Parts: sequence; structure tokens; C-alpha cells
Amino acid sequence: MEFFLQQLINGLTLGGIYALIALGYTMVYGIIQLINFAHGEFFAAGGYMGVILLSYLAGQGYMETHPWLCMGGAMLLAMLFCSFLAMAVEKVAYLPLRKSSRLAALVSALGMSIFLSNGLMLTQGVYDKPYPTEFSQGGLEFGMITISYLQMMIVAVTIVLLVVLNILVFKTRIGKAMRATAQDKVMSALVGINSNRVISLTFAIGAGLAAAAGIMVGIYYGSVNYTMGFVPGIKAFAAAVLGGIGNITGAMLGGLIIGMVEIFGAGYISGQYKDVFAFIILILVLYFRPTGIMGENVDDTRV
Amino acid sequence: MRKKLFVLLVTGLILVPFLMGTATAETLKIGTLSPLTGPYAADGNDIVNGVKAAVTVVEAEGGIPGFDKIEVHPQDTACDPRQAVAAANKLINEEVVGVIGAYCSSSTIPASEALAEENIPMITPASTNEKVTERGLPYMFRMCGRDDDQSKIAGAFIKDYLKAKTIYLVDDKTTYSQGLAENVANVVQGLGIKVVAHDHVNQGDKDYSAVLTKIKDANPDVFYMSLQNSATGSLMAIQAKRFGLKCKIVSQDAVYHPQFISIAKEAAEGVYMTFGFTDKSKPAYKKYLAAYSGTHGEPGAYSGYSYDGAMVLLTAIKNAKSTDPAKIKAEIMKMDMDGASKHIKFMENGDSGSDYIIYTVAGGQFKNFWNPATGQLF
Repeated sequence: MEFFLQQLINGLTLGGIYALIALGYTMVYGIIQLINFAHGEFFAAGGYMGVILLSYLAGQGYMETHPWLCMGGAMLLAMLFCSFLAMAVEKVAYLPLRKSSRLAALVSALGMSIFLSNGLMLTQGVYDKPYPTEFSQGGLEFGMITISYLQMMIVAVTIVLLVVLNILVFKTRIGKAMRATAQDKVMSALVGINSNRVISLTFAIGAGLAAAAGIMVGIYYGSVNYTMGFVPGIKAFAAAVLGGIGNITGAMLGGLIIGMVEIFGAGYISGQYKDVFAFIILILVLYFRPTGIMGENVDDTRV
Repeated sequence: MRKKLFVLLVTGLILVPFLMGTATAETLKIGTLSPLTGPYAADGNDIVNGVKAAVTVVEAEGGIPGFDKIEVHPQDTACDPRQAVAAANKLINEEVVGVIGAYCSSSTIPASEALAEENIPMITPASTNEKVTERGLPYMFRMCGRDDDQSKIAGAFIKDYLKAKTIYLVDDKTTYSQGLAENVANVVQGLGIKVVAHDHVNQGDKDYSAVLTKIKDANPDVFYMSLQNSATGSLMAIQAKRFGLKCKIVSQDAVYHPQFISIAKEAAEGVYMTFGFTDKSKPAYKKYLAAYSGTHGEPGAYSGYSYDGAMVLLTAIKNAKSTDPAKIKAEIMKMDMDGASKHIKFMENGDSGSDYIIYTVAGGQFKNFWNPATGQLF
């Protein structure tokens, strides 16, 4: 039982991270039907921004006195930075291809992914960058179960971000504009919505969430690396497809499922097959529900 | 008249390659093969830097007679067998006289076969899998030790010093890490230690919570961590510490890297690992350290072996006064000298002997810990 509970907590942490990244894929797909392969790189860039900012703050001595404040501030700045980065990427790589075939934009996304990850390598070096987090070992213990403060923080931040995102998309004017653009770009333009600005904003929000995931991964696991965006990017993409690509609730659910299946697959069967289990679930769900768990008709797109 | 002109032109054309040949022969080209991109790029760059440091030293000491300068041609294997072969072929086209590399055993083995067809000497600084020198290739040399020796030392340490009864092994499924973990499993079973489980993780993973929870549940005496990369090792060590694992962690040569400590910090303390012994008081080591740290910073795990590999190659060319592979090999086999990382003396199969000892991390530094030759602490 303790073993099960511990694995459940592990799965929740990992699933939360996947969910945050998956949202970016799903939102961008929902609005312009593009699979943004460069999304994993925003996650890595967020992790790097975090290490740069926190190392600076640690050098000034603020990490000793106000660790949580520093981490919160660094996270907000990293999210902001990645939002701007994503808007720039969108302007350079996707906007000029808006009218051309989807395949062209997809290839452009792949190219952007390679460009960004090599850019990270050239500017930040090939070595892993350690996070200056010394206090990361603390946690609560219930018998055999250990929940670190960081695990709690990751789950809490993930929940907060997901709630904020839901409010933004479903309760505000901006959200309404996004949903309208997702449904019909021409029609929404006719009623006065600046679709280019809305698309830009969607990219920014998705990248911001990925950056939050990146900095939390950095703090939790202790280091970042320029290749770190690739594997979680693929997993989160699978999570978005599993939940029904284009559907926000689906992406959250998909992320949690992939995280849980991975952890329980590794925990109860074998570590080497954990990815296999995650993708078997994906195949099974797509076999019975080709549009994913929460997905509706393929043509009727949503944010 | 026209015929004369034609003959002159043809002779001129025939002479061009010879003239060009003498003009370019003054540059000595040596190649390196190592992962410069991808997850193992850190170790790959250490290898290139080690070779460059050796070239600096040789050039400062007067270079090699007959050559104006020595050029290093680094090629990226990305630790991928196919790319390694392509990189080896590129080096063959660039007409290098010898190659230092590769890093991953799974790259070294196919790349060496491509180089062997052209009889280009290859010295690997880091590939420890036994097969590297067991294939009868005449121009394959190895600066580092071998995994079968490494696993025996690890087994002896686990049995004699740690007095373990149970062991849990984890590897990340590369030719090197899995082969080594299997060797260790066989060795400790022969010593009467029970293997609780042999689990695997994937390369590129960051989260090991599932497997570490299993280890905590199984509560073995020793957790043997066999990973291809030091950064992965530090992630696992941090998470192991966070989960409150009580068992001793024993790891291997790929985790021995300054990066392991800089990332894992206090979680690295008390982790044991096997790595070749280096006598840091010897002048050869001091010369290397001065040449290396001046331009490339703190040496990585395999910088020393790469430096020695390049030294062996360049010294052999210098002594042979030729770039003929057979003559280079004859000179390499004659060598009996102190290198930066070890005493250099090659055996018939191209190995230079293993000298593994147990290191540990104490006070944020690697310390010599246990000497298998005497069974005593340092």
C-alpha cells in the first residue's frame, strides 16, 4: 500500500509536468492546426532562464534569505521570456507560412526545434547546468512514504496554473476571442477579432506554461541540459493526442495518464518498458476513440 | 609545335598533384571521434580538448620534424553507431594519420572497422567494453581499462569492504552500461551476493522515482548504478537521497566526472565509483594539467586518457619519422613511459592494462578510497 501511494505521488508530479507542456501543443493545434514541434525547446529555454536567474540571485545572496520568493520571481520572468520567445518564433517561422500548406509549417516547426536546441547548446554550452538549490532535500515523511516539498510545490503550481488557464479561456474576453478564432478564423475576423494577435497570444500562453514546467523540472531534478526538451516534448505531444488534441481539459488528463502509466509501468513491471506502456495506452485509446479521450469531431476545432 | 605544347601541358597536369602533394604534406592531420552533440556532448568535448592540449604540448616542444603544424580534425559521433561510421569515413577522406576516439563503445566498434580497412591507427580513450580490443584489429589501441576488470574490482569492493549480502543493479541500456552491469551481476553472484533485481531505465530520462521507490522497497545493501553519463548519475543520486535510500551506491567510470559533484552537490557525498588510478604527483600529470587547464578549464573524466592517446600517437610518429601505420604501431608497442593518466605500456591486443581503484566523493571532491591490490583504504 505504501509502495502504491508513493508511486501515486511520483506519478502525480510527473503527470503534472507533462500536462503543463501538453497544453502548449494542444492550444496551438486547436487554433491553427499546427503541431508545434519547437514547443519542447520552450520548455528547455524556461529551464535555462531559471538557472541563469537563480544563479544570479544566489550570487547576490538572496537565495539564502528568500528562497521561495526568488523561485517565484524567476519562474515569472522565465515564463515571460519564453512567451516573448514563442511570439518571435511564431512571427519568424509560422506567420509567413499561414497561407501555405500545413506540411510546410510542420517542417518549419521541426527546423525551428533544431535551431533552438542547437542555439541553446552554442550559447549555454554542452555541460549540464546545476541549479543553485541547496534546500531541495526537505520533505514530509509518513512511514515509508516521502513527499518532498518540491513535489508538493510542483503539484500546487500546476493546479494553480491550470485553474488560471481555465478561467482565462472560458471566462474572459480574450478567451472568448481565442475560442472564436479556433472555430473560424474568417468569421471571427469579420466580427472584429485580430486573429494574428490572438494566435500570437496563444503561442505566448503555451510557451509560458512550458517554461513554468521547465523551471520546476530544473529545481526538482537539480540540473538542466540543452537536450532536455526532446523526450518530454514527445511525451507531452503523446499526452495531447491521448487527451484529444485541441482540447484543453483533454491535455491535462492526457498528461496525468501518461505520467501515471509511466510510473506504474516502471514500478510494477519493469523500468525498461515504461515508455512502451505509455504508448500502448495511447494506441489503445486512439483505436477505440480516434480523436482522443475528450476529442470531438476533427473538423470542429477548438482551443 | 602544337604536339610539343600538348606534351608540355600533359606533363604539367601530371605534375600538379605531386607539387600539391609536397605542399600539403607539411601539415599533420589527426582526427578525433566523440559525441559533440547530444546527451554525451560533455564527455565528447573533454576528449577533443585533451587531444588539443597534447598537440599544444608537442608543438611547444618543437613539433614533429617534417611537419609545419599539427591539425586536429574533430568529428561528431553523437554516440550513434551509424553516425560514427559516417564520421570515420569523413576522417578517412580528410586523410588523417590516426584517430583518437570514440567515446561510447557502441560507436568505437563500428567506426574502428571502417578505419581498419584503411589501416588507420585508432586509440580509444574511453571505450571500456571488452569487445573493442578482442576483434583482432591490428591498429586498435585502448588507453583506458576494460569492463571485465572493472567489474571484478567493483565485485571485490562490494564483497570485501562493504560486506554486502544483497545488490540491486540499474543500467540505462547502452552497450557499455548494460554490459558492465551484467558483468558485475555475474561477478557478485560468484561471490555469493544475492542479486535482488536488475532493472533498466531509458537514456534521456530525468525522472527515476519509480525505480528508486522499488529499490527503497527492496532495501538492498548496495545499489549499483551503471549509467552512460555523469549528469544522469547525478540526477539519480539526488533523487535517491531525496527518497531516503539507505543503501550504499556504487557506480562506474562514466559517472566519474567533476560534473557529477557540481550537479549532485551533497547528494554525491559517499557515492563510490570505479575509475583508473592516476598518480597526480608525477611530472607527466602536472605537465598535462598545466597545458589543459590553461585553455580548457577543469579536466573531465576522459581528458587525461585522450591527452595520453594523442601523446602516444604523436610520439610514435615522431620516433618513426614516418606516418606509415606499421611503423607507427612498432613504435607504439615499444613504448614504456609515464603518461598523464597511467603508465603507458601496450599489450599485444592493444590494451594498456586496467588499474581500477575505488573512488568516493568527500567534501565535494573525488578521493582515492580503496585499493584493490592491497584491500586497504588509501
